[in-house]
Amino acid sequence: MELKEALEGHKKEIVSLWIERTLNSYKSPGFFKKESDSFANPVGVNIKDALSTIFDLLLANAEHPDYADPLDRIIRIRAVQTFTPAQAVAPLLELKWVIKQVFSTKKDAEPLLSELDTLDCDVDRIALMGFNLYMECREQIYRCRINEIKSGSHVITDSGCPSKLLQDKPTTLESN
Amino acid sequence: MAVVKVDKLARSVAEGPSLMTGAFPTKDWMEVPAVFKPGNYAYPTKPEKLEYLDSQQGISLPNARDWNPEEDDWKLPENWKDIIIQGIADRLDKFRSLKIFMDCCVRCGACADKCHFFLGTGDPKNMPVLRAELLRSVYRQNFTLAGKILGKLAGGREMTVGIVKEWFMYAYQCTECRRCSVFCPYGIDTAEITMMLRELLHLLGIGINWAMEPVANSNRTGNHMGLTPQAFKGNVDFLCEDIENLTGVKVNPTFNRKGAEVLFITPSADVFAEPGIFTCMGYLILFEAIGLDYTWSTYASEGGNFGLFTSNEVMKKLNAKMYAEAERLGVKWILGGECGHMWRVVHQYMETMNGPADFLEIPKSPMTGTVFENAASTKMVHISEFTADLIKHGKLNLDKSRNAHVKATFHDSCNPARAMGLLDEPRYIMDHVCDWVEMPENTIREKTYCCGSGTALNTDEIMELRMRSGLPRANAVKYVRDKHDVNTLACVCAIDRATLTTLCDYWVPPVQVAGISELVGNALVLEGEQRQELDEGLRTLV
Repeated sequence: MELKEALEGHKKEIVSLWIERTLNSYKSPGFFKKESDSFANPVGVNIKDALSTIFDLLLANAEHPDYADPLDRIIRIRAVQTFTPAQAVAPLLELKWVIKQVFSTKKDAEPLLSELDTLDCDVDRIALMGFNLYMECREQIYRCRINEIKSGSHVITDSGCPSKLLQDKPTTLESN
Repeated sequence: MAVVKVDKLARSVAEGPSLMTGAFPTKDWMEVPAVFKPGNYAYPTKPEKLEYLDSQQGISLPNARDWNPEEDDWKLPENWKDIIIQGIADRLDKFRSLKIFMDCCVRCGACADKCHFFLGTGDPKNMPVLRAELLRSVYRQNFTLAGKILGKLAGGREMTVGIVKEWFMYAYQCTECRRCSVFCPYGIDTAEITMMLRELLHLLGIGINWAMEPVANSNRTGNHMGLTPQAFKGNVDFLCEDIENLTGVKVNPTFNRKGAEVLFITPSADVFAEPGIFTCMGYLILFEAIGLDYTWSTYASEGGNFGLFTSNEVMKKLNAKMYAEAERLGVKWILGGECGHMWRVVHQYMETMNGPADFLEIPKSPMTGTVFENAASTKMVHISEFTADLIKHGKLNLDKSRNAHVKATFHDSCNPARAMGLLDEPRYIMDHVCDWVEMPENTIREKTYCCGSGTALNTDEIMELRMRSGLPRANAVKYVRDKHDVNTLACVCAIDRATLTTLCDYWVPPVQVAGISELVGNALVLEGEQRQELDEGLRTLV
């Protein structure tokens, strides 16, 4: 049996275990797993869809840019949740463990365990793309903070009372 | 130095224990302590702000001090436990609603998955039922017979410092948006439970600066920003100059003018911060177009009322300022701008706190003659009600093509939608001024998702928290952006205009945020105008 054939044959089990483990990283994952309406359950549905898509792309030997969209769907969410950087991108690497776990229980796929090196490298590359994306998201968060501060609302908290400032500078008052 | 081989590294990750397991739940929720670290809490109130507020008539905000949520010792007053238990007793006595909400929940779970904080975090304490349970367990222990006898068996909990910390964490992970209340079969207003938690914490001097400094500023100068009358007028004058440059029409608003028919009050953010200023230009253009006899006030220069997020005393006092100013100026009624929580305060608390406003008249549109019976008690009309009525009576000359650059969707701002039922007026206006589409059914109207940054959580130090709690809203915007090329998220709330801009920047660029009145201002054809080509409406740089 070819590796690709085995991956396709056991796709359902691999993807569902992968999703299961990823969603288990949340404190109360029951709802995320159960609800299928993407507007009622954006975390669960986005992660499910993104992981399924990534697996399909792997099977199809897709080009790297094709991974950008599904990776963004999962990493952009995890970049603002209470995960460490490692925990945020860990689900991508977990695919290796998941595939080995599934293959080790299947007679037809078990002999292929030694042939997984190439696939592992692919997964590593996807994880590294995910890490880049994670950093982009974090940098964007900091830019968002700076933008808000620059937009002027910081005067609420970071400046003195304007009327007091005006008392200190009577000329400013007159110029108004 | 040893070279770590990539395949070895990969194997250790793939074969070793999962990196993710650290986040697995291992304990019952009551046993999980709140842990504060940078990014998951908003900064505490500056002591001088609290001291100032505590010195004000009608307001009690004691125990001002420097303290740090990340440190073990929060420097609580010695008798903190007595203060809290007495505080609960006082409130149970004063607010019948609280007593009912404490007793009647059957923990059916209908609310559990409706909160944007839960949906964004997966943290069970963000389920509204469990957030309420943080208070309810202490209530049971101290105020019910079963709890007094059976304690934990009856769902009771002894009040501890850990619970104080837990309250601070989760009372400030609720935006009082009330989406959960829509689904509660008993109609429990979970926002009021959050309000009580915050009041109780204030008894111990625990609050956040982003709420309290605007409150202090509003009390002092009339608006969140602490803008002086001169600065406030100066900012509006700037916007008038911009309007003249763009349209060739000179608008001449008045300030603090006694005897005007209408007092106009809007959030101060509309006067000074993008993108709110474009909404403000829309108001100014609209009033000019219809020749409204109105005045601004530089004292009641804030529609927002952060008292709603602080305590009932503060809410009452700040709300009273608007009505005191209306009385002083001798206006007939008040027209309110695009604010969110101002409308909850006006519609649901004003009458009890400061009503009835007998010195005002039931609002009647001078242009159409429409009497706004719905505002018979508060004497305050929403700008969207007012504008929709003008459109219905053909009083506005609107050119929809002037919004050709806009493909909009409408975000029902929580408080206007759920607290005053303002659902159709903004939509009616949008039908006449721009091309727009709805977001999915379970994310709009009464079921609208919060921006994730209301109730004074719109501060930058909790940006990640805001982004994850805003995900359900952004996710629906993303859907219409991808499907219908939506580029504008319209709304009727100043906090929305500020925070959804950031939310869209992170989740759904390049969607921009606009007030409904901005879109009206874009489309309005003014008499005597010499309008330039405005490719981006009032945002066009000329």
